[in-house]
Amino acid sequence: MDPESVARAFVLHYYTTFDANRAGLANLYQDGSMLTFEGQKIQGSQNIVAKLTNLPFQQCQHSISTVDFQPSGPAGGMLVFVSGNLQLAGEQHALKFSQMFHLMPTAQGNFYVLNDIFRLNYA
Amino acid sequence: MVRLGTSAPLYSHGLIAYERRVVEKMEEQVEMVGKAFVDHYYHLFDNNRAALVSLYQPTSTLTFEGQQILGVDKISNKLNNLPFDQCRHVISTIDSQPSSSTGGILVFVSGCLQLQGEEHHLRFSQVYLLLHAHGFLCIYIKKPYHKLCI
Repeated sequence: MDPESVARAFVLHYYTTFDANRAGLANLYQDGSMLTFEGQKIQGSQNIVAKLTNLPFQQCQHSISTVDFQPSGPAGGMLVFVSGNLQLAGEQHALKFSQMFHLMPTAQGNFYVLNDIFRLNYA
Repeated sequence: MVRLGTSAPLYSHGLIAYERRVVEKMEEQVEMVGKAFVDHYYHLFDNNRAALVSLYQPTSTLTFEGQQILGVDKISNKLNNLPFDQCRHVISTIDSQPSSSTGGILVFVSGCLQLQGEEHHLRFSQVYLLLHAHGFLCIYIKKPYHKLCI
């Protein structure tokens, strides 16, 4: 698959999983993965999924506005930069967010998230 | 850089605490590098845009509002020909992480861009992958993004 298709397929899979069943994100992270969520640093798949499943909302929906991607070097990694809206159930206004993923290939030919940085965009 | 290389299990609490302090120190260093880079980059951008060229290499890529630009010359050309002369970046957040697969540092910046003569600021986010060269304190930007969020 060309880099653009990989990036878009990953983004679709990630946010669909996030919105339907956050625990299902576990196999997208590994022990060495790092998440910085609104400035808080979390390491390792278990801790990352614990953080995401304990966010203070039950239901949410991401809608993606932009996806940018670049290969990150000879190890076959890819940087993906996403911006969009996050609608929480019961809230009138959607939140704007930006998120950066650094994806690395797995032995099976998929990708996992090595680096993940999430920030809400305030007006 | 510090490496802890041991195949023996770390039984002692003392050793584990030591390792945790080393990791914390490394995290601090990554943050320091990220912040120093951001201060330097935007100071140059706002005061001497032509000098930004020193931070890029032939293998650098810039994706600017969706447009992909490769190499120092083209990136320099793009940045020097943006449709405004004076601007000021005001940085809100800087997040840095080590990127173990590249040996580099990922830096995620968000803030506002004030253009001279414009009443409203533009919000932006930008991602950099910084790579060291030859172990010296030179930082080359490998893969910056620049996405304006309105």
